[in-house]
Amino acid sequence: MKKNSRRQGKGSIKTFRFVLFIGTVATFAVILLIIILGDQQFGPVHKVILEGAGPLQKAVAQISGSVHSVKRKYIDLLTIREEKERLWKELQECRTTAYANRGAVALNARLRKLLDFKESSNQPTITAQIIGKDPSLWFRSVIIDRGGSDGVDKGMPVVTGEGIVGQVYASSSDYSKVLLAIAPSSAIDVLLQDSRIRGILKGTGKNMYLLEYILKTAEVFVGDRVVTAGYGGMFPTGLPVGIVSKVTRNRRGMFLEIEVVPAVDFRTLENLLVIEREKKMFD
Amino acid sequence: MLTLSFIAVGLLLVVIQTTFFMPSPLWIASPDLYYILVGYLAYNFTFLRGIVVLLPISMVLDIYSGTIIGIYPTLCYLGYFLLKFMVAKMPIRKSLYQLPLVALSYLVVNWVLLLILDFFQPQVIAGWEWFPILLRVFLIYLFSFPLFRFFTFIDKRLRGKTSSARLTRSLPGNQFRQD
Repeated sequence: MKKNSRRQGKGSIKTFRFVLFIGTVATFAVILLIIILGDQQFGPVHKVILEGAGPLQKAVAQISGSVHSVKRKYIDLLTIREEKERLWKELQECRTTAYANRGAVALNARLRKLLDFKESSNQPTITAQIIGKDPSLWFRSVIIDRGGSDGVDKGMPVVTGEGIVGQVYASSSDYSKVLLAIAPSSAIDVLLQDSRIRGILKGTGKNMYLLEYILKTAEVFVGDRVVTAGYGGMFPTGLPVGIVSKVTRNRRGMFLEIEVVPAVDFRTLENLLVIEREKKMFD
Repeated sequence: MLTLSFIAVGLLLVVIQTTFFMPSPLWIASPDLYYILVGYLAYNFTFLRGIVVLLPISMVLDIYSGTIIGIYPTLCYLGYFLLKFMVAKMPIRKSLYQLPLVALSYLVVNWVLLLILDFFQPQVIAGWEWFPILLRVFLIYLFSFPLFRFFTFIDKRLRGKTSSARLTRSLPGNQFRQD
């Protein structure tokens, strides 16, 4: 009896649930139909739903964006090593090119000066390159890649676009040794360009000359230009030698003590011009 | 073979010194590598063989540097004889203490030579300056360690046996002279 009544109760609940489900579906279907077939107006209900779903959508969109960003970063991270290596290599190449370009520009400027000098002077010249430098602390000389077979001979003056460098001390068939004007054993006849006062320019072994045998009565000022005198025919007349940097008048002695800064920067010497002249008595 | 090889090494050192270690004609921080070889020869070669090796090297130096012919042979042989004498008279036979002697002898030989030249030809050479010369002495000392090892390596290879020039290692037994 009890079993029968329980079975009847379960059946009525099932029926009720079925009817409720069908009714709900039918109601939604009717609402959907009304919405679709209606006047297509965005009504208050829609607005309420939009307002309610908006923050949710916004939050999800933000999360989604973050996830995408993390994913993108992760993928970037995977490829960043190769990218870094590629960029580093590119940077090195650029640096090498820039360095080479700077060197080429400097070389170009130096060669241009040499060329200008070569064209402006009416003397035949031989272009040479320094291949070795004197390592001692006592002497100052360089070895150049031109010798007797190129026309280079002992005693010939050596210059750059800026001024005098020295003279050929000895030469073999293909190479020569040049005694620099700053060598302690070097002595050149010079003139002060404006006052035409004559003196002897001595090397000191440093990047400086001493101008000797100029009487105290002479007017010499800092900034005066010193040029070759051309006496003896060793150097052509009027080649730039340097600029007076210090004048000292000592109480003792007849002569001024004059320091001259070389016109040529001996620290950056590379290319030189040997002026071809007739063999002079260098000895 | 040993003599010729060390002549070739010496010439190579001279070329390196006049090119790679001399970026400008006024550069002072160039190590006198040839003088380290002078020291090695004095310590490890027989008297005559050392003289033979030094002759062409010092002659090439005379060509590459300076205006006084014969100055480098004088400098090299002065250093060589001085070091030979010190090796013979020194109480300690072989040790690291011999390396600073090379640098010290360089200072002494340069000073003596400059004194002589200053007396006979005062206008030809630059005067004595402490900073550049001490810098050179320091560079010789600095470079003597790797170069002595290099020379020892060549020496060993060419002689085909262990060289007696194990300067950077302590030697067994009594290191003091027995006479």
